[in-house]
Amino acid sequence: MNPFSDIPSISLLPEGAVFLSDSATLIVADVHLGKSAAFRAQGLPVPEGDTVRDLQRLLELARKSHAAQLVVAGDLFHAPSGITPLLETAVADFIAELGLPMTLVAGNHDVKLRQIPSQIHAVANLELGESIRVIHDPAHASGDKLHISGHWHPVVRIPDGRRTSLRLPCFLNRNNTLVLPAFGSFTGGAILSPAPDDRVFVAIRDAVIELPAALIS
Amino acid sequence: MPAASLQHYFDARGWQPFDFQKQTWTAYLAGKSGLLHAPTGLGKTLAVYLGPLAESRGTHCQVLWLTPLRALAADTLRALREPLAVLAPGCEAEARTGDTPAALRARLRKKLPHTLVTTPESLSLMLTHADFAEKLTGLRCVIVDEWHELLGTKRGVQTELCLARLRAWLPQLRIWGLSATLGNLTEARHALLGSSFADSVEVTADIQKPLVIETLIPKEIDRFPWSGHIGTRLAGQVADEIEKANVTLVFTNTRSQTEIWFQELLAIRPRWKDKLAMHHGSLDRSERDHAENGLRDGSLKCVIATSSLDLGVDFSPVDQVIQIGSPKGVARLLQRAGRSGHQPGSVSRIVGVPTHALELVEFAAARDAALARNVESRTPLKKPLDLLVQHLVTCAIGSPFEPDAMRREIQSSYAFAELTDTEWQWSLGFISNGGAVLASYPNYHKARLEDGRYSVDDKRLIMQHRLSIGTISSDPAVSIKFVNGHTLGTVEESFIARLRPGSALIFAGRQLTLVRFHQRTATVKAAARAGKGQVAIWGGSKMPLSSELSHAIARRLHGHGGPSLEMAAVEPILAIQRKWSRLPADDSLLVEHVRSREGEHLFFYPFAGRLVHEGLAALVAFRISRESGEAIHTTQNDYGFSLTAKRGLVLDEETLRSHLTAENLLDDLVACMNTAELARRQFREIARISGLILQTPPGRKDRSQREVQASASLLFEVLDRYDPDNLLLVQSRREILEKQLELTRLTSVIQRLEAAPMHLVETANLTPMAFPLWADRLSATHSSGDAASRLEAMLRTLNVAADSIRQAPAKKSMAES
Repeated sequence: MNPFSDIPSISLLPEGAVFLSDSATLIVADVHLGKSAAFRAQGLPVPEGDTVRDLQRLLELARKSHAAQLVVAGDLFHAPSGITPLLETAVADFIAELGLPMTLVAGNHDVKLRQIPSQIHAVANLELGESIRVIHDPAHASGDKLHISGHWHPVVRIPDGRRTSLRLPCFLNRNNTLVLPAFGSFTGGAILSPAPDDRVFVAIRDAVIELPAALIS
Repeated sequence: MPAASLQHYFDARGWQPFDFQKQTWTAYLAGKSGLLHAPTGLGKTLAVYLGPLAESRGTHCQVLWLTPLRALAADTLRALREPLAVLAPGCEAEARTGDTPAALRARLRKKLPHTLVTTPESLSLMLTHADFAEKLTGLRCVIVDEWHELLGTKRGVQTELCLARLRAWLPQLRIWGLSATLGNLTEARHALLGSSFADSVEVTADIQKPLVIETLIPKEIDRFPWSGHIGTRLAGQVADEIEKANVTLVFTNTRSQTEIWFQELLAIRPRWKDKLAMHHGSLDRSERDHAENGLRDGSLKCVIATSSLDLGVDFSPVDQVIQIGSPKGVARLLQRAGRSGHQPGSVSRIVGVPTHALELVEFAAARDAALARNVESRTPLKKPLDLLVQHLVTCAIGSPFEPDAMRREIQSSYAFAELTDTEWQWSLGFISNGGAVLASYPNYHKARLEDGRYSVDDKRLIMQHRLSIGTISSDPAVSIKFVNGHTLGTVEESFIARLRPGSALIFAGRQLTLVRFHQRTATVKAAARAGKGQVAIWGGSKMPLSSELSHAIARRLHGHGGPSLEMAAVEPILAIQRKWSRLPADDSLLVEHVRSREGEHLFFYPFAGRLVHEGLAALVAFRISRESGEAIHTTQNDYGFSLTAKRGLVLDEETLRSHLTAENLLDDLVACMNTAELARRQFREIARISGLILQTPPGRKDRSQREVQASASLLFEVLDRYDPDNLLLVQSRREILEKQLELTRLTSVIQRLEAAPMHLVETANLTPMAFPLWADRLSATHSSGDAASRLEAMLRTLNVAADSIRQAPAKKSMAES
């Protein structure tokens, strides 16, 4: 769906990504590759499982959307201790198979890495045309263009019944900054405290819908 | 004969030892372990401590004294030092708990005192020090105080495991437990002593302190509410009772109730401003100290408390105890009554204050059961693997262990006596390579297996592990602070999140205004003017009525027991119940059906406690709606549960019976209770104990640790997806069923109901028994389906509502709803 009538090329995908049709750009945020390995390195028994599958999902999404370039709005990697030979191989295979230019807007986790794989173009922020800037941390938004960001891992809580509620990862648009849900599976989320004028979008089956304010607590 | 010196000790003071004291030290000196049960304030400390003192040699560590509450350590020390100074001059007693200052802790690291008072957590922590075994070579005796408090909890199992370790080091070690009266004292002794149970003894102090249980009878029973739990209606009469006594301890059942009653009593007697204090687990230490010291020196008139004051500490000046609302259990009522009348020759006196009419019956019933000493059992926990893996790492840090010897040691405890090969292998895997599915845990290890022995040598892991011991039950909470930094205590985040800056709240007996809420700290200031604020509320489980007490209530309802003021007062209400329906019993099942504007209601009264009723309500609602397709709302209390639906609840006895069968019980419960979601919540505690979640050192923000922080529910999902056979997941499912629904009790209740006669009654009105269930606004709706269909349903409802507003904007009924 497209929440912005003034930017016709933008759409929110149910996979938790943004697609810009004019430049065929696919944007995701917060993949946190190697997170479970970072846990194991600290002596916490968390099983491996997500890394390869997350990359596979990203690859399929790029194919399906016919993207010409991939942009990650920060935190592609989780921590230096999570960069295992296994992960390095998986990422190299992914880039080779993807076959598209890939840009990483370095997030707070990425900057701790000694090096980013050379095939990935790492930048501090990225201008996409006149009207859009990709950043990692919504706090760094400035000026009046639309910012696309990550970092918050937004999750919305919807009460449905007296003692139950749904927790759903969501897109959040606040102060002209669009915050993407975390793409990685082992990422968790932060339940957002709604502010006036927030717009919240969630994926339901194969579509993204805007949540009526009445449903959000 | 060393016992002679003990007789001197008594003679010199002009005392006469009680028989149970002599029995205890004779058994001890004969080399036996055991359990002593005696009421508080009757010299049980001396009974167990004098034996070890009689054979004391040298100044090295000979006695370990375990206490469940570190707050008790100071009082315990005081009680132990007196005989120690006389019978073992030159020897020291010290406490090592989480509160011990660093300097003393460092001194204790070098040399242990003759008698060391400590908690299960601190003992566990000391096991991680390599030289601990060596320091304890002269240890003769471990005494576990208030064992009934630890029994049935994970800290109890932690104690069992620590004792197993000490027994392995010192086969001659004697272990003595002190316990209040329990329904299963033999099992309690077995759990404490594990493999050394066989030759042990049980000593009973056959002395009963005089006990008076009274009830405040409401003056106008006709106007007295049929339901509710705050019930400040009798506050005036309560204030009069407090006036009459010297020092009163008022017990409530919840922390919120404590806050409310504090405000209420202050409003009635403003001159008590400096004579009234409160005490509950969420208050800051300094606030609690104020209340405790005031009780000790008698400078306070009254302290309002929750179960935080149930335990140990001796408050001699207290001459009256008041219990607000249901006592919930017989043991609890006895324990609370025992907080008064500590002076020799005095009487323990407790006054019950009903908050609704039926609690009058509860107090009469509780008195019947208390005088007959028909008290509850506490079931020991079996095989909590989260604690086992924690303990294994603890041991491996202390000194490398050989797996077969360790397994024998673990199985010498009661909790793990029936540990299976699978469970043992899995636990070893969990601490060394992640689990059975090796491929799922590349590069993981905590303990290292070398030359057939497991050890942990990574300094960082050791530090992290030490932090995680002793945090068995501490949920993250929001601390409440004044602008000047003075801390008042903690509340749950869900409560504070509902308030906005400027909102009024009541906490720690103060009227406050929220200034800001930021990162687990809520800053407050005193409210500018007195007014009503929101009283802090805490979630957590409300204790269910015990089986023993519900049985006693059922007997009372059917005329058993002598005449009593309570039964006379409540009679007009019971007469209505009899007239409109009949009185429920626990050897048959009463079911009432009634129609109202909302639709139809069914009320069931199995008398099995709130948790069991919650499970039964969900189960029956699930089974009925599976056939009728109607959404059913449920409520429950300690006496029964209700179902409400638009239609479809006119059912004959046979159909009702088919819904109350034990057949497919577990499957249906799992299906209807959303156990996946519940298990995820339970997993938080398990993940913390087993070391899956790192503890942040207090007062320190370790940035490097942020990379390895994940919520328990996220970890649960990951394990569920990639290591579904992980035994910790199995444990969390089992624990949640037991904790949320008392599964064991539920099973026996449903079996009882299957065999019992049923009385199905159609009533014209809500009966006195039904009314509280109907009025309970905390009903649960059984929603079903995946997230998408639930969301779709909500959107549809919203659209329908919006359409009807558009179509009929002026319709009055809309505005009312």
